[in-house]
Amino acid sequence: MKILVVDDFATMRRIIKNLLRDIGFSNITEADDGSSALPLLQNGDFDFLVTDWNMPGMPGIELLKAVRASPKLAKLPVLMVTAESKREQIIAAAQAGVNGYIVKPFNAVTLKEKLDKIFERLEN
Amino acid sequence: MENLERNNLLERIKLLAECIEAGNEEEVNRILDDILQKREHMLFQELGRLTREFHDALNSFRLDSRVTELARDNIPDAKQRLNYVISMTEQAANRTLNAVEGTTPICEKIAAQSRMLREQWANFIQRKMTAQDFRNMSRELDSFLENMSADTDRIRENLSEVLMAQDYQDLTGQILQRVIFLVNEMEGHLSRLVRNGSAQTPHDPTVPPLSFAPLAPKTIPDKPSAEEAHGPFVPGVIPAEEVIHNQDDVDSLLSSLGF
Repeated sequence: MKILVVDDFATMRRIIKNLLRDIGFSNITEADDGSSALPLLQNGDFDFLVTDWNMPGMPGIELLKAVRASPKLAKLPVLMVTAESKREQIIAAAQAGVNGYIVKPFNAVTLKEKLDKIFERLEN
Repeated sequence: MENLERNNLLERIKLLAECIEAGNEEEVNRILDDILQKREHMLFQELGRLTREFHDALNSFRLDSRVTELARDNIPDAKQRLNYVISMTEQAANRTLNAVEGTTPICEKIAAQSRMLREQWANFIQRKMTAQDFRNMSRELDSFLENMSADTDRIRENLSEVLMAQDYQDLTGQILQRVIFLVNEMEGHLSRLVRNGSAQTPHDPTVPPLSFAPLAPKTIPDKPSAEEAHGPFVPGVIPAEEVIHNQDDVDSLLSSLGF
């Protein structure tokens, strides 16, 4: 499984990478905002996208919309991991077609739970 | 212009000298009054100019209402954000130190036990061991191996705690970025005020003339849309009721939306 982790803070990308590795995913690529992530997604064969919301350049919500609007990427599962925790934001992300939403600070158990849930849904 | 005035003054003084020599007291008084009056007039003119400039400077303060807003709302907000950053970094440091302090004794215990077992094992290899010592060693080895699994689990747990504690760098970073944005904006407004103030002091041709052109619009709109990023929740800055505080509430909101 090839995963793209998008966050403007390198520390958070490292944390997520370490957690994903613990769960058993090791094929991980990083990007620091939506505009650098999108070409990677378009030209790569990613199976999963983990993205932050608040990033300079293209924020995560825009990236999510761009992914859903792209014929090639429309079905790519997207997990949002973000400190944005306003009710209206979570609703906006749901409407834009997010597959899971984790609020920071989070823990390893939550990440595993959400990943399992997303994969379970995809299989059914 | 200055030349003309100097010539004028020179003319008058020459005339004054002539009148004094001729003993024309009346004319002497008239010329002296004239010169003094001109001097007074210049003084009043200068005073008028200063008053106007002071008035303009006051107005420019009023025009820049964003400065008032920054001082009234944003600076206290920024202070609250910075205080929150201090408490978050303190929490992260404590989390990390607790995990380290919890791990060190486990490592010390494993080191001490393995050292002891190694000595006993060396005795066994050298055939210096009684049957009773051998039985003791077997028991110790058994309990060592049994505990090892639980100990490594705890070490892993503590390492994971250290890993997760580092999320403060992202969260405080997002809060600090907002404060930096505010400081930049404040700097822009203040330097504009200083520029406007100094443009009105005379004898400085290098300063550009006064301008009341509005500054660039704020990048943080007054009423953010649902998609505007706010950064992490900061108590006292972001209204608590607008924010969902834990993952369970996020999950139940999403499930109410059919997720």
